[in-house]
Amino acid sequence: MKRILAVSLAFLFFAMTLVAAPITLKAAFIGGANYEELYKAIPQFESQTGMKVEIVFKGDGFQIDKKLKTDFAAGTVDYDVCWDHSSFFTQYIKAKGIVPLDDYFTKSDLADFIPKILNSGKKDGKLWIMPRHFDISCLHYRTDIFNDPDMKANFKSQTGNELKVPATWDEFKATALGLQKILPSGVYATEFAGKEEALTGRFYEVLLSEGGQYFDKNWKPAFNSPAGVKAATMLRDLYSASAMPPGMTNFVWEDVAKNFVAGNIAMYTEWYGWYSYFQDPSASKVAGKFDIARQPAGDGAVHGGWAGQHSFSITAASQHKKEAAQLIKFLTNPDQQYLEAKLGFLVTRQSVWNRIISEAKATGKALDNKRLQLAQLQASEDFVTPPLVAEWLPSSDIVYPIVQAIILGDKEPKAGLDEAAAKVGQMMKERGY
Amino acid sequence: MGERDLGISRRSAEKRLSAAVLESRRLPVLLLLPAILLMALVVGFPMIYSLYLSFTDFTLLSQSSMKFIGLRNYVTLFKDPTFLAALGRTVLYITITVNVEMLLGLLIANAMSNVVKGQSVLRTILMMPMMFAPVLVGFQFKWIFNDQVGLLNNVLFEIARHPVIIPWLIRKPLGFITITLAELWMSTPFMVIIFLAGILSISKDLTDAAEVDGSSEWQKFIHIIIPSVSPFIYIALAVRSLDVAKAYDLVSIMTGGGPAHRTELIWTYVYRLSFTSQSFALGSAMSYVTVLVAILFTFYLFRQLIKARKVRGIQ
Repeated sequence: MKRILAVSLAFLFFAMTLVAAPITLKAAFIGGANYEELYKAIPQFESQTGMKVEIVFKGDGFQIDKKLKTDFAAGTVDYDVCWDHSSFFTQYIKAKGIVPLDDYFTKSDLADFIPKILNSGKKDGKLWIMPRHFDISCLHYRTDIFNDPDMKANFKSQTGNELKVPATWDEFKATALGLQKILPSGVYATEFAGKEEALTGRFYEVLLSEGGQYFDKNWKPAFNSPAGVKAATMLRDLYSASAMPPGMTNFVWEDVAKNFVAGNIAMYTEWYGWYSYFQDPSASKVAGKFDIARQPAGDGAVHGGWAGQHSFSITAASQHKKEAAQLIKFLTNPDQQYLEAKLGFLVTRQSVWNRIISEAKATGKALDNKRLQLAQLQASEDFVTPPLVAEWLPSSDIVYPIVQAIILGDKEPKAGLDEAAAKVGQMMKERGY
Repeated sequence: MGERDLGISRRSAEKRLSAAVLESRRLPVLLLLPAILLMALVVGFPMIYSLYLSFTDFTLLSQSSMKFIGLRNYVTLFKDPTFLAALGRTVLYITITVNVEMLLGLLIANAMSNVVKGQSVLRTILMMPMMFAPVLVGFQFKWIFNDQVGLLNNVLFEIARHPVIIPWLIRKPLGFITITLAELWMSTPFMVIIFLAGILSISKDLTDAAEVDGSSEWQKFIHIIIPSVSPFIYIALAVRSLDVAKAYDLVSIMTGGGPAHRTELIWTYVYRLSFTSQSFALGSAMSYVTVLVAILFTFYLFRQLIKARKVRGIQ
């Protein structure tokens, strides 16, 4: 009898322990640099909710994308919340790795988010990703070059035109070619990220500006149009005229940013997210010596606006979806977004934008204020994501080496883009489009 | 004891001997069985499954709708100019690096064998490149050959006294040369160590006799040292060929196989197809074609090794 009582009490105690154990949410997040600051607020969430949060993986964007794809394919997902991105989430939908968020976020939860950005996370009428912050590019140009009287005079004598900040891609090309004739050795008129999705995205941005499309409405490649040829030709002509660094086809984001802060570039398009690095006098030779302008427009009268949002999703494998949604709500609440805005991120809540813009006005730093106003304008008018199809990255893998070959002069623009279109078309057909 | 008794005890002795022999043959198999089972699970099963996948249209994102497509992936491969170029480039890469490593390895090992004082210190210094992971070597050489801030262009600037901006990692055939140089720097010490062991195992009588006969150093090297170390050469060639054939880390860091596939080797292309383009099935097919080529190559090298051992009188 005593033994039965002891066993029952032990069992009861064990069961109570299980019931009382806090829920542990597991997360796979993007890591590195300023991304980590947000995660320092997680203890606050834990004390508010009694839940525990364990970050089981952190990596850069490409590392975490590979992890998510592999885990979704292998069924080894052991986390509830994951990083996501407007360029990647369609793949995860196809892999059945994430779930729609409509059941967990009400209209009032979503009301404060910038509509264009929120909608970029929707597919088939459902919301799949909650925006954390976004980025879009603007033209960064050196004021010590563009405003220098000698440079202006030399430019005028070389080209017959005034040196001014280009507003169209045609002006961008002409300005770069003219500048390269007068810049000192080792300084280049411009640069672009030259490989992987970075190059495909820049090509895509110029293509759309010139009135082109990447895919038509039947998911057939359409980038080998006259607009695509014009975009590829611009890149090739700039490279062959040595208006871009010769190693450009090996550059991705850090490389182009480092070239700019080293003072080697006169103007180029860059993400807003690098702003604090550019303005840090201990790291940047161009701190206080550059200004920004809206991305040039093309023949399609469209300003370049390739953009993306870093975001959060709930995994299909999660056993605590409601709780996962709570964590996402916390990480994207106005307080956390404000903290991220102070780090230089472009946040996605309108109320936070209003607050930081009024603060920037009070600092008296004109560029701080201009940057926010311009970013807000671009977010509402120019923001465009890559095509919302899982095959965006696989198609980029076909396109970018061919665009590189065009830039390097190995292929002609039309022939190269036709070849890329044929291969992408074949891939899409094999995948059921 | 009668003859019959002797016969019976001889027969039972023979039976006991056969049982013992059988037992002794079974024992190694039994002892190896756990390792064999583990290898089958960790290596064998994935290889067989990967072979099966190469006959399907499997992608990472749509495994539930995977279907059997026969030889279509292999046909696609052999029609793909990028794959054929990568295969040819990989064979060229192996041929150049392994042969140059062999030549340098022999010359350096021969020189080192004549060093009396400090040979062990010299050996340790020489082995240092082998201690670095290929990824680190890749970053190191990527920096050396960087066109803007790289060491080499800066040295050339100091010599020429004007900016020298050579895109080492971009221009044809410089990109290929730079990855070859990085591989040579990293792996020649391996050849040196192997050949040095071979040279030191040569009987001194042979070299002394050659000296007495008036042979020059070069004649000794060609007619005594090289034939004597030929078994070591074939082993080293086989091992290094397989190593270089699976080159990925170094090339991935330095050039990513680009630009425009200019430095694309088989494994960088397999990685791109499998993980970025998600065409796992096509990547599997490509892997199997490569493994087959590697097996044929290794088979040839080991046949040469057996011949060389026979010439040396080693069975």
